Amino acid sequence: MAIFNLKKREIECKVVYYGPGRCGKTTNLEYIFGAYKKQVKGEMVSINTEGDRTLFFDFLPIGLGQIRGCDVRVQLYTVPGQVKYSSTRKLVLRGVDGIVFVADSLEVRREKNMLSLKDLQSNLKEYGKSIFKVPLVMQFNKRDLAEQGIPLMSVEQMQKDLNRQLQVPAFEGSAVKGDGVGVTLKECLKLTLQSLQREFKWAQ
Amino acid sequence: MDIKQRLKAVLQEAEIYRSQGLISEAQSKYKDAVNIVNSIEKLKNKESLIKAISEKISALKTTKEKVEKGPTTPELSQKAQDLIKNLFAFSESTDQDSAALEGAVALAKFGQFDRALTELNGLLKKEKVRVEAAKNILQCHLASAGADEAINQYQQWYTGDLFHANQLEGVRTFLEEVLAKKGVEANLPSPLETIDPQLEESVVEVQPQVEVEEEFLDITSIGITFDAGPRKGKMVEFDVNFQSGNMLSLIISKQESELIETLEERMELKDVQFFSPIAIFNGAGVVASKTKIKTGPKQGDYCVDIRIVST
Repeated sequence: MAIFNLKKREIECKVVYYGPGRCGKTTNLEYIFGAYKKQVKGEMVSINTEGDRTLFFDFLPIGLGQIRGCDVRVQLYTVPGQVKYSSTRKLVLRGVDGIVFVADSLEVRREKNMLSLKDLQSNLKEYGKSIFKVPLVMQFNKRDLAEQGIPLMSVEQMQKDLNRQLQVPAFEGSAVKGDGVGVTLKECLKLTLQSLQREFKWAQ
Repeated sequence: MDIKQRLKAVLQEAEIYRSQGLISEAQSKYKDAVNIVNSIEKLKNKESLIKAISEKISALKTTKEKVEKGPTTPELSQKAQDLIKNLFAFSESTDQDSAALEGAVALAKFGQFDRALTELNGLLKKEKVRVEAAKNILQCHLASAGADEAINQYQQWYTGDLFHANQLEGVRTFLEEVLAKKGVEANLPSPLETIDPQLEESVVEVQPQVEVEEEFLDITSIGITFDAGPRKGKMVEFDVNFQSGNMLSLIISKQESELIETLEERMELKDVQFFSPIAIFNGAGVVASKTKIKTGPKQGDYCVDIRIVST
């Protein structure tokens, strides 16, 4: 849940990158950390395990500066994608204000994407939130691998699999190259701040 | 596509999956590659090529084992622990002791039991948060060392003079309930049995309502690794729909017919992971019953009860 300090006119919100294991959630944050130095407000912290897989979470604080008379700060998190870290995912998701669902474009990961989205829905439900109401943006990651002849799902296929009912903004991306990373985050922040405005009426 | 080109493409695909950390997918592609090599009759260096691919498959198997057996809750650096305390203590309270308690609980939730215990033990000195700190100390012992350690801890408090009788009774009730959920019967001595009945009455009046943190030890889902049936060797995760003590009820969709057939009554499940919000436990279970749901929206699905036999 966002923290709003009326006196200081500060708002701090939480955006979580969700998705199946190895889909590129951490790579998104690493790119943001490297490319948006002006906005980054501290070190990126990664707690990894064997094979450089996220164990608990990654964390990156950023600041958006003054928006409508309010100093906006954002905490970016990733969750561990591996199925076995179900309870940690749930913990990290607590108090979330906006979500980026990173889907893997590889054909072989089709089922994992769908399972992860279902897992997100179920975890949100446990916190009394609906996936249809939470600010949510999708990123179809690893589009660059098509150049190497690797079988990818078409964007239409991914929209049909993951976004047919949700109808949320979705962007093609290549986190490793930085393509689509900024636009995905920007859209998620826009939706998140709009949602918080409806709730807190923070903007002047 | 020419068969050699196809082999090249499959090997490239496998290599990319390997570099992406997609171990199973890479293994599968390398196996495809072996099949293609075997199908080419007049291929030079056939044996050495198969050997080279097999070595890659073997290396992936080792990596996979390392990933699967990796510690679920390793001890983190102090900096990482500080961050967890800072980020995952959700209390809106400005009270210092309550905030410290939240921080310690956050550490416990991420499996940082040693530091959590140190901090929680420190909080026992604070009257306001003493009972909650004690309950969380017991949870830490249960998660990291087992029921005996938690019972020993209670016994120590019982013989000591840190707690008021009503506080300790709250802790006792809490521990007994948690132990019962784990299938452990423990007749813990009650501090109220030894005090004057009139005093007891007044104590009961002021006794704070002890909230049992059911969430802490509830099993939210389980992962069963089958040693028979079509999913042999694979872990399948199920949501727990209902829990009563050591009995977990799962609803399995009628579409999962092969799973339903595999899970026979009295079947021993030797490799089960129990997922709770605080930690993951490995253990074993037994299929206690399997019932077809005959009415309602879940008609045709199966309710499978699994009794936890060890964690």
